[in-house]
Amino acid sequence: MSRGFRVPLWVPAAFLASALLLLAVFRLAPIAIALGGSLTGTKLTGETVFLGLANFAALAEDPAFWRSLEVTLLFNLLVNPLQIACALALALLVLREGPLVPFFRAAFLLPMTVSIALASVLWAILLEPTSGPVNGVLRTLGLPPQPFFRSERQALPSLILLASWKGVGYWMLFLLAGLLQIPKEFHEAAALDGAGALQRFLRITLPLMRRPLAFVLVADTAANFLLFAPVYVITHGGPNGATSLLMFEAYQAAFAYLDHGRSLAISSVILLILAAIAALELRLFKERG
Amino acid sequence: MSRSRLRRAITGFARYSALVLLATLLVLPIWWLLASSLRPAAEIFRHAGEIGLAGLWPETITVEHYTRAFAGELPRAVANSLFVALSTVLLGVLVCSLAGFAFAVFDFPFRRTLFAIVLLTFMMPFESIVIPLYVLIRTLGWSNTYWALILPEVASGLVVFLFRQFFAGIPKELYEAARVDGASWLAIWAKLTLPLSGPVVAAASLVLFIHQWDAFFWPLVAAPSAELVTVQVAVARNVTLEVANWGGLFASASTAILLAMIPFFLLQRWYVRTVALGSER
Repeated sequence: MSRGFRVPLWVPAAFLASALLLLAVFRLAPIAIALGGSLTGTKLTGETVFLGLANFAALAEDPAFWRSLEVTLLFNLLVNPLQIACALALALLVLREGPLVPFFRAAFLLPMTVSIALASVLWAILLEPTSGPVNGVLRTLGLPPQPFFRSERQALPSLILLASWKGVGYWMLFLLAGLLQIPKEFHEAAALDGAGALQRFLRITLPLMRRPLAFVLVADTAANFLLFAPVYVITHGGPNGATSLLMFEAYQAAFAYLDHGRSLAISSVILLILAAIAALELRLFKERG
Repeated sequence: MSRSRLRRAITGFARYSALVLLATLLVLPIWWLLASSLRPAAEIFRHAGEIGLAGLWPETITVEHYTRAFAGELPRAVANSLFVALSTVLLGVLVCSLAGFAFAVFDFPFRRTLFAIVLLTFMMPFESIVIPLYVLIRTLGWSNTYWALILPEVASGLVVFLFRQFFAGIPKELYEAARVDGASWLAIWAKLTLPLSGPVVAAASLVLFIHQWDAFFWPLVAAPSAELVTVQVAVARNVTLEVANWGGLFASASTAILLAMIPFFLLQRWYVRTVALGSER
């Protein structure tokens, strides 16, 4: 950071006070509450008691928690690479100028203007098994209708479809910004040397895109780890736990079972995973200088 | 020569086929929802399976679902969401630009550390602290108030960062000249710096507005009462409560989607530039 003006301390303090106070109360204090609250429990009489690591010990023995963790990890292992591959494909398709390309760029951004809650409502209707339009199209094509969110096997893939539909345009933006920074001359020179399109992609584009790709991977993973709305709106974690993502599990513990200790323990697990992701992100940030 | 031209024609055709296919997949769901919200109740699902124009364009256009939706809780929900989002934008631009100004212009102890903490808060997505924040708000007795919806979203690490980056680019000589003229730092921030930062204010407003307008998890837990219900919560609850009333659901979902698209497409240029470049810095 460059040197700034030397002023009496109260000047920057006054400028910073409101923002720092709000961040301390609404961003930092909750982290402390999650970590502290996960060590406590509520007795039937309503008083809060210190339990030590009992909440975490209970989680470790709870198959529902392990199932939720497993589903969350599986979901992330599938959805993140898929979304990034699609986002990169979209970015490459609209990279070069051409007729109607600005129109296609705008069209790809359209789903990101739909909130995750409304996207969930929309896909709940589209994939509705009896009268939804996707099954309508399948029937017209002479194919058997599918249960989608109602079946244990198809629920998670349907969730991936929904998240990807909403997310790919947004991540495309970041990758497109990266692709636009690759000098055209690199490709022209390689083409003159006889490199084919695939070779140029593997040897020039991908290596030069390492940082934007890493940034998007980290940010996308953080977002998908916290996915909540579709589970709440469509599946409620089912069928049979197939979509019980961690965030929904924490919500259920707090609001369905009124078990705040357990809920804050799950929140702490989520925060620890995100802290690891943020540490990675910070390293990428520093590499950039 | 002609062979390379043929090859170029083939790649061009393949590229545009892919573009059309992907754009269709991404846009068609929204189009189908908007078109269906204008169909009479009896026709909504009759055309659901048709591939072709009949499935895409309503034969009879009716606004009956909209009239009914607007006779229910939707107007209240839209007003709540607008009030909450606009208050957040106003307070957020104020608070975050003040902080961004301090980080960009002044020299003070712990500047780097404090700025690192601000950056850290924007790497922790808001959703990750929803439940502990709810515990805090409930203890303070703030649940089911507008404050609970507005205040947590006012200070945003990303927006402070955007302002700092922009303010740091303003030449120091400008500030020195104003100081020589006897202007206070507050006057410099209000009359010199802010008027120069139109594009950042636009991008920051959009970031804050969209984040607040789209918010679902936090309003769901912090302010679930009927008087404070936001659009997202109202529409999402309809799915589980009124499965029979598809028309009303389509109309309210379409309204919420269209309202969010207006600021996005008005300010998209600034948003794309600032956010995409911000991530590169």
